[in-house]
Amino acid sequence: MFFDLSVPVPPISSRPGPSQGPSKKGKEKQQANAASVVYTPAQISAIENRLDLLVHLGYTVFAFNQSVQRKVDPKNHVNVLDPLLAQLRKREGVALLKRLTIVLDEESEKGFGLTNQNTALFASYDLLALLPTTLGTFSQACLTHTQPSPLTTHIIALPLTLPRLPFHLKHTLVRTALKNGAVFEIAYAGALGSESDVSGGSGEGSASARRNWWAAAREVVRVTKGKGILVSGGVVNDADLRAPRDVANLITVLGLAQNIAHDASTKVPQSLILRAQTRRTYRAVLSEPKVVIPGAVVPESASQPPTLPPPTIDANILSDPTMSTPPATISQPQQSDASEVGGKKRTRDESQGAGAPLNKAAADDEKDGSGRKRKKKKLKEGNF
Amino acid sequence: MVRFKNRWILVEFIPCVSSPPGNISSTAAGLGASDVETNSKQIWSSLKQSIITHFGDTGWGAVGASLTGAFAEFVKYYSPRTNVCIIRVARDQHNIAWAGVTLLSSIEGRRYIPNVVHVSGTIKQAQIAAIRHNRTVVARYRALAKIPVGYQDSYEQFLEISAQEIEALQD
Repeated sequence: MFFDLSVPVPPISSRPGPSQGPSKKGKEKQQANAASVVYTPAQISAIENRLDLLVHLGYTVFAFNQSVQRKVDPKNHVNVLDPLLAQLRKREGVALLKRLTIVLDEESEKGFGLTNQNTALFASYDLLALLPTTLGTFSQACLTHTQPSPLTTHIIALPLTLPRLPFHLKHTLVRTALKNGAVFEIAYAGALGSESDVSGGSGEGSASARRNWWAAAREVVRVTKGKGILVSGGVVNDADLRAPRDVANLITVLGLAQNIAHDASTKVPQSLILRAQTRRTYRAVLSEPKVVIPGAVVPESASQPPTLPPPTIDANILSDPTMSTPPATISQPQQSDASEVGGKKRTRDESQGAGAPLNKAAADDEKDGSGRKRKKKKLKEGNF
Repeated sequence: MVRFKNRWILVEFIPCVSSPPGNISSTAAGLGASDVETNSKQIWSSLKQSIITHFGDTGWGAVGASLTGAFAEFVKYYSPRTNVCIIRVARDQHNIAWAGVTLLSSIEGRRYIPNVVHVSGTIKQAQIAAIRHNRTVVARYRALAKIPVGYQDSYEQFLEISAQEIEALQD
């Protein structure tokens, strides 16, 4: 099961100005409401073709990426992805998610709309991502915004094509972010020298963009030691799409071991999506603590408090399915709850497994995607 | 025993019209419908160019160990109808060559998406994978065209001929 978590949505022309790119501060935006986001048939067919190609190459889960510059303006912000998803053809075996990327620059250091008041805006997105371009925003992103909360941005994307990654990646910041469960994203579009959708304003030639990509990506790999690396597309032109195993091999050249490189497009996004669903819960607690009163000692244990494990441990339970001793009182409700939450995932799985079209079955056999799907199902059922 | 170990990479080139608005890009390129004649020489030279661009002369030196030697990187098989080719690389450098294939974006001016279908250590497995891939592609077309099962069409002949060609490859 391969993931491409960054399929940029091409700009729509019906609104006054493209949906991705310029800041939302323009006066013209105030005229547009949520209902007026309309995609022309040409754009729909272009997106459909892109999806077809991606499915042909072997990807099954996609996240449409809407990017916002500088800050999210609650008055003008419109989720362009909802109407898009409503208009796409039904595909079996494919899961589509919605993602928002906020590009941060110096002005965003004061605040860019990711506050508790605006939580409702972000609730419609499955994934949140930040793209810091300065050291200040980077440290903000790593430290404060990866804390478990309804506003956690689980993905930290770095602009890999800017000349001289503008800030030094401090090891401590990166470690904190990783411990909180964030992942660092490498978009492979930069390696091909094409324009990725938002790269903080790099309009340079493709050769130098490529060189910067190699330098910056290598740096990211070095600092994270391969731990929280997510590989995603970010390709704007169809011609730059690549099969997931090709991309994994490309990352291997950066210095990652082969299994880690392969995980970067399978296991890491998978656990990331699951973790991102914790935004809907309180501080990333996914289970419902249940008070268990042992039969013999009734009066005493009536005051037995529900054990509420700290959120980081729970996040670890989620991402580490081989956790050895989950607390006994939690394990039962965890099963029921996790099956609810993971139920979303599971229906995707089942539709994937059962509804795989005939002409794909042979192709699936060849790649061991199907074997991996089965293994994942077994893992989930066994360990939750 | 010191043996030369190789990797056989099976690559499919998907021709692609790079996103003009309103045009359906030819992702389902018809079998034999390609108007541009590409052959193995062109693939080889584009691959060489790609490796030199991305990995420099040292990269090319490592991969194409010697141009005339028996264990150099070489395009072993190419079918213009399905755009499938098999490349042999020495095992130690196959990562570089594979990355070179991935970063390759155009052959003779036309843009392609390289899709590596299979990598194996023996040519036998590569042949099996190639035949299986052909069958998958044909099955996909048939499903798309909703041809009833058992209907003899030109695909059958193509499958047989290509299977023979593939089997005829020698190490």
